[in-house]
Amino acid sequence: MARLTRRAALSVTAAAATLPRFAIAQSDQRPTVTVAVQKIANSNTLETAREQSNVGSRTFNSYAEMLIDTDWIGDLSQRPGLATAWRRIDDRTVELDLRQDVKFHNGDTMSAEDVVFSFGPERLFGGSDQGQGGTLFAAPTTTGAAGKAPPPEVPAVARRTYPGLERIEIVREGVVRFVNRTPDVTLEGRIARNVGVVLSRRGFAEAESWLAWARRPVGTGPYMVAEFRPDTSLTLAAFDDYWGGRPPARQIRFLEVPEVASRINGLLSGEYDFACDIPPDQIAPIERNPRFEVAGSLITNHRLTVFDKNHPQLADPRVRRAMTHAIDRGAIVEALWAGRTRVPKGLQWEYYGELFQTDWDVPAFDQAEARRLLREAGYRGDPIPYRLLNNYYTNQNATAQILVEMWKAVGLNVQIEMRENWQQIFDRNSPRGVRDWSNSAPFNDPVSSITNQHGPRGQQQQVGEWTNDEFNRLSVELETSTDRARRRAVFRRLLEIAEREDPAYTVLHQTATFTAKRKDIRWQAAQSFLMDFRARNLAFPA
Amino acid sequence: MLRYFLSRLLRAVLTIVAVVTFAFVVLRLSGDPALLIMSVDAPPEAVEAFRAAWGLDRPVWEQYLRYFVQVAQGNLGQSMRDGRPALTVVMERVPETLALTLPAFAMKLLIGIPAGIYAALNRNRLADRLTMVISVAGFTVPSFVLALILVLIFAVNLGWLPSGGAESWRHAILPVITLGLSGAAILARFTRSAMLEVLGQPYIRAASAKGLPWRRVVTDHALPNAAIPTVTIIGFMVGSLVAGAVVVESVFSWPGVGRLLVVAVSNRDLAIVQTILLLVAMTMVCANLIVDMLYGWIDPRLRTARAAGG
Repeated sequence: MARLTRRAALSVTAAAATLPRFAIAQSDQRPTVTVAVQKIANSNTLETAREQSNVGSRTFNSYAEMLIDTDWIGDLSQRPGLATAWRRIDDRTVELDLRQDVKFHNGDTMSAEDVVFSFGPERLFGGSDQGQGGTLFAAPTTTGAAGKAPPPEVPAVARRTYPGLERIEIVREGVVRFVNRTPDVTLEGRIARNVGVVLSRRGFAEAESWLAWARRPVGTGPYMVAEFRPDTSLTLAAFDDYWGGRPPARQIRFLEVPEVASRINGLLSGEYDFACDIPPDQIAPIERNPRFEVAGSLITNHRLTVFDKNHPQLADPRVRRAMTHAIDRGAIVEALWAGRTRVPKGLQWEYYGELFQTDWDVPAFDQAEARRLLREAGYRGDPIPYRLLNNYYTNQNATAQILVEMWKAVGLNVQIEMRENWQQIFDRNSPRGVRDWSNSAPFNDPVSSITNQHGPRGQQQQVGEWTNDEFNRLSVELETSTDRARRRAVFRRLLEIAEREDPAYTVLHQTATFTAKRKDIRWQAAQSFLMDFRARNLAFPA
Repeated sequence: MLRYFLSRLLRAVLTIVAVVTFAFVVLRLSGDPALLIMSVDAPPEAVEAFRAAWGLDRPVWEQYLRYFVQVAQGNLGQSMRDGRPALTVVMERVPETLALTLPAFAMKLLIGIPAGIYAALNRNRLADRLTMVISVAGFTVPSFVLALILVLIFAVNLGWLPSGGAESWRHAILPVITLGLSGAAILARFTRSAMLEVLGQPYIRAASAKGLPWRRVVTDHALPNAAIPTVTIIGFMVGSLVAGAVVVESVFSWPGVGRLLVVAVSNRDLAIVQTILLLVAMTMVCANLIVDMLYGWIDPRLRTARAAGG
């Protein structure tokens, strides 16, 4: 019989203690996905009510979810998220049935109280009376890094997103009601916005500060925040108790790679599986390599040229109308986007449903009409300034140069003035003429776009570029009316005013985003900046 | 000697104040942090709330005075992007940058100085010409071009090294080589010029004429005298250890002080920018003081002149 020495016994015990952990690690054969992005978050937080940017949209969807989801890869329709069903009680109230057995990343089961917290003062509306007394280098000590109250911009974003939200009632366990102060037919769309992610109340309570929580929010998504290194990387780990099934990847790593050449090189050398924000002129070189492809998609965002009607040359709407007719939008789409985007039907999207104006279109490319309008307006070739940022938008500089030449062809003298940032674009100390912008529609109703951005409280009027009394009256009506036929007519009239009669802007083309990826990974791009890494949209080669 | 150091110190403080003031005025007048940090699409109310919270709605002179008082009290402020103390944010990045710049600095010294000496001692021969061609190429090719060439060769085509990131020591190899090669090229040029100037001096001829072996002429007479201009250049290189890798860090996605500076400037995160500038200015000042002391150690004539001057 073999003798068991003390040393052998210790070795066996040590091996036994090590074995389970080793076995668990070995058993998870799921791959890690590495995504190179230009930027992870502008605000260096993962709180959607603070991080209101396109870049932040890429990540939040993996760690947090809304009550009402949007089918961003399909037809953009609303679909059950953390709520399985919802119904209208009246024109001010929506009732939602919460999904059962949804787990947060901290192991708690999602409850109605968590929903109330997520739309309540602690997370969104608290601190509304703050924001006084800060200095340039020291914010009020009760906010942000030191305290639990959100920084003042969070309540501001919340008030804009839910302007009439009065309260959330818990009807019974698993059923909640959103009650608005005023009638609002867009309440479901507002609930579906990413500000409305449901987060753990206990997760917030246990965090040492608002900043600590905002960098590690406890959500219900398929991946949980494992490590966030601001300006560097975000590592998300698979959350195997996810209600929608086991995530297909063990980890999702977002790496911040600011240079596009570096993102492409990293993809080609095999370090990254995905490289985001690929400019259209790099698509062909990447796809020459048979191992990679570029997934592109149109997103719910349109590129615009915006007018300042206070400029002496633009005060007459006929000059602005001439500018809209002088643009060959199709040529821009073909030349700069290789035909991978399209010219939309004005500032609207098909997912508006019955409010979508199918017979509306952008002004026709008609140089003769443009010249006629300029003659009638008595335009004599005086310069019109065009303030331009250096490729803030994809192809921005090239588009601007083409526009200037197209305007020149009908007799318009538009002069590009390069600017470094938005403050210089909006600066009122010298005459403003034309600038670039893009508009999104975060939910399926025109109030999310045309009134939100061009209405009385929208940016264009806030910076003093444009206003129109009839447009402003109708904007309010579109926001508050519940009469569907009337709303359709009002939206039509808003388009007529802002795009034809008294142009506030003109739509150039829809925006597209391009993501280069390994060809052997099955994954589809969304019609938004967000990236879906759930099992329904991510599969690896066997 | 004490007066000398006090005057240098006073000059350094004035330099730092000038740098900080200039940076404040330029950054503050050329961009609104609220619009840059909140993004142009944020609701106007949110942008206004941000401005009020950080005092950006006050006159610029008042903002500057408040900042100056805070700095004088030892408070470098908080980052507007995440609310943490600026010094904490910056100091987190310093080790990352030093992980590149220190090995690169060693590489500059180990390659640049011997190459310069070798070229000078073989003046107008093939070795000299070859060394200088490589050297000129090294400092005329911009670092981002060199970086991309190295990435294409070693990461994309050969697959030997990672193209970017900072996860292991292997990720540091290409950025260190990029930084090291360009610095070594500069050092080689300066060392060669200094050596050639010294080798033409009468005391070198005298040392040779009295029968000293050529090796000892070089080590005992030429090298110490050629060291002063080289040490000056090395001093500048020491000064740039903290934030001298801005471009390379961007190309290689290296999360150091350089990248932090780029992000902070583009967001007008003033406290961060000012803290980095202070750090760089202080490093430069310290490096210059050390160089001044080294001059005295290398060249006894300077030491005695200073002592005589008080």
